[in-house]
Amino acid sequence: MSAMLLNKEKWPEFVKKLTGKNLWAPKLDGEAMRFAPVAEGEEVSLDYGNTRVPPKGATFPQTETMYRFLVGNMEIEEPKMDEELVLLGVRPCDARAMKIIEKLFRWDYDDPYYLKRRELVTLVGLACTEPGLNCFCSSVGGAPDSSEGLDLLIYDLGDRFLLEAVTVKGETLIAETKELLTDSDASAVKAKDKLMADAGAKIRRTVDHDGIPEGLPGLWEDPLWKSVSASCIGCGTCTYLCPTCHCFDIQDEVEGFEGRRCRMWDSCMFEEYTLHTSGHNTRPTRRERTRNRINHKYNYFVDKFDVIACVGCGRCINLCPVNIDIVEILRRVKEAL
Amino acid sequence: MDLEQLRKTAAEVVARDDVKYLIGWKKGSYGYRVAPVFVEDAAGVAELIFSPLCTANLTTYLTLVEKTPLPRGQEADKRKVALMVKGCDSRAVVQLLVEKGIHREEVIVIGCPCPGVVDQSLLVEKYGDTEEPVEVKWNGDGFMLVRGGEEIKIPRDEVLAEKCRLCRYPNPVISDHLIGAEVEKWSPAEDSGVSELDAKDVDGRWEYWEEQFNKCIRCYSCRNVCPLCYCQDCILDRLNPTWINRAVNFSENTAFNISRAFHLAGRCIECGECERVCPANIPLGKINRKMAREVREKYGFEPGLDPEAEPFQASFKPDDPEDFIL
Amino acid sequence: MSDNYEPNIVAFLCNWCSYAGADLAGTSRVQYPANIQVIRVMCSGRVNPLYVMNALQQGADGVLVSGCHPGDCHYMEGNFYARRRLGMLKDLMEFVGVDPKRFHMSWVSASEGHKWKEVVEKTVEDAREAGPFEGFRRRQIDW
Repeated sequence: MSAMLLNKEKWPEFVKKLTGKNLWAPKLDGEAMRFAPVAEGEEVSLDYGNTRVPPKGATFPQTETMYRFLVGNMEIEEPKMDEELVLLGVRPCDARAMKIIEKLFRWDYDDPYYLKRRELVTLVGLACTEPGLNCFCSSVGGAPDSSEGLDLLIYDLGDRFLLEAVTVKGETLIAETKELLTDSDASAVKAKDKLMADAGAKIRRTVDHDGIPEGLPGLWEDPLWKSVSASCIGCGTCTYLCPTCHCFDIQDEVEGFEGRRCRMWDSCMFEEYTLHTSGHNTRPTRRERTRNRINHKYNYFVDKFDVIACVGCGRCINLCPVNIDIVEILRRVKEAL
Repeated sequence: MDLEQLRKTAAEVVARDDVKYLIGWKKGSYGYRVAPVFVEDAAGVAELIFSPLCTANLTTYLTLVEKTPLPRGQEADKRKVALMVKGCDSRAVVQLLVEKGIHREEVIVIGCPCPGVVDQSLLVEKYGDTEEPVEVKWNGDGFMLVRGGEEIKIPRDEVLAEKCRLCRYPNPVISDHLIGAEVEKWSPAEDSGVSELDAKDVDGRWEYWEEQFNKCIRCYSCRNVCPLCYCQDCILDRLNPTWINRAVNFSENTAFNISRAFHLAGRCIECGECERVCPANIPLGKINRKMAREVREKYGFEPGLDPEAEPFQASFKPDDPEDFIL
Repeated sequence: MSDNYEPNIVAFLCNWCSYAGADLAGTSRVQYPANIQVIRVMCSGRVNPLYVMNALQQGADGVLVSGCHPGDCHYMEGNFYARRRLGMLKDLMEFVGVDPKRFHMSWVSASEGHKWKEVVEKTVEDAREAGPFEGFRRRQIDW
């Protein structure tokens, strides 16, 4: 795959080329960065920490219409999904997360919605040079410059960008912007290696998950779950902001004679999530729900797909209202093993 | 704040046979973070702290504990719960008593007079975040940040939480044990956030809230953290009838946010937790404070002060304002 | 807004006074705008604020709640509760930016057929001024 250099002066032009393709990039919205559409001529800055809400919505929208129908009518109308999307400035952890949950959406049944959207989206990544306070990607199989899931990876080398194509889609992007790019040289590669080594060294939090996936079932009734979940308020912040959380709920919304079936994000931290029609709840308290969240990421997913469903982006730690810290929980799990 | 006294009182309280646990604050896992802690025995008391970082309103845990069906022959644990409260939090306790969400004999209130807490996001913005354990203390008129042996004086206005600038009740309005002396009340600042919005025209406000509500991801942390949102059967979870669809779009988000604010009208005690926890930074406090202001000015009612009061929305006065009626 | 725009109004009328008042207007052949869709409830105190929200979400451009005059409630005090709650709701919606012209409340007794006509005329006229409430419709968005 090819690697090219882009002078920073040409960055606005590069962005402009991409805006023709339904481009989304992180933008400052109030206090937080979030992905938003970029209008033509708008500036895009890559000088930011990670976005508050992960870009998983690009392939797995919070609310997705599966089809529309008329009450009493047998025909359904499926939504058109044909708009291509370019996400610019996706962090390696978030792209890796998309690759991880893709395994689930391809598991026993190919999910047409997810896979179609995955096909339509091009992920242009940005390697991390300044990892956040709670980043621990290198502990769970990622890296500040992991290219897993990405189509194109950009390195910020100070006065220029190094663009590395990862997939055919990435190659196409490079080919389309060829006139702005110059060939890569050895000095750039050297600078990149140094930059990434520095970035890796800046990651302060670590998780030692050795033995955790195998050990978790043995801790099913351990008192640790009660104590780590005592302060949980049962909101969906950790799961909704998690790039790998992928649970959804399917609802029919009918108004008059028109209706639609749609699916939307759901969270295992909600009481209603496991509530049966009978009134029985299989996870009646926050203890079981917290236990499930950790088990799902570090045990069930590992069992099924051989990869930890946590990419170490740190969002659940940053934004938990009551400081429930997954690194801390894993440390206690490890102790209890 | 006298930590010795706090820990001594706490140790006495948790040692009692009729006390299940004490809910307080402890140092969080890193940096400025503070986490709620459930102390069950005298050994855990050493973890307790009370500092300007103790923003969380712990009253919410009184109603958050799930009441699962008991196995036959087993009796419910009827022991008391002890709870540390600041001035604003204590109003939530009173409001819960008014609504009979809890009963007086079920709680032991440990009141902590509060000179005002810091807004962590302001602290991070001005002094940077850190993973090392730091300490923030009250220091005369302002705060003191102790980081890596270095002491940094912070002027009060620089990092004081918004709710504290507007605070009218820094001292607990109800308590069984008061830790330290009551603090002197300060004159509350003008609520410019609400006034500015009030000054806009209707379309301007709609535009403002449209932008805000569009950000909502419906994680319901505002509902769950609220000490007064404790319905067993919340309209947001109910499917038949489905008052608010699960879909996340502007219409449903607005309906959700209006319902939430309405359910808190005349009940909200302005602890500001909803706004603090919102991952989308929606200024929910503005709506709540606006409603509290209306209730105060039009109906002469303030929630969370008198445990014998009648709940605002479940009572009326014959001379309630009716200038809006055709 | 097109020239022939006709607002949709949902009216919640209490069984004992306002519904009878509207009935009287009908039997007395009082002409009033036909934009009103009446929903009968037992008491204005039964009107859940969510009814108002849902009406607006589902296509109403204005909502009217009408009950007995204070002191005349069939259930002694239902309308007093309604007055307090819906008064708050009106303030809240106004703060969020819903035009106050979209929500009205009135007292109409069983003998006030003519007052009913006036109330409806005012409600419809106000809703017409406020225009269609497209921004808040459920189906408007990505349905």
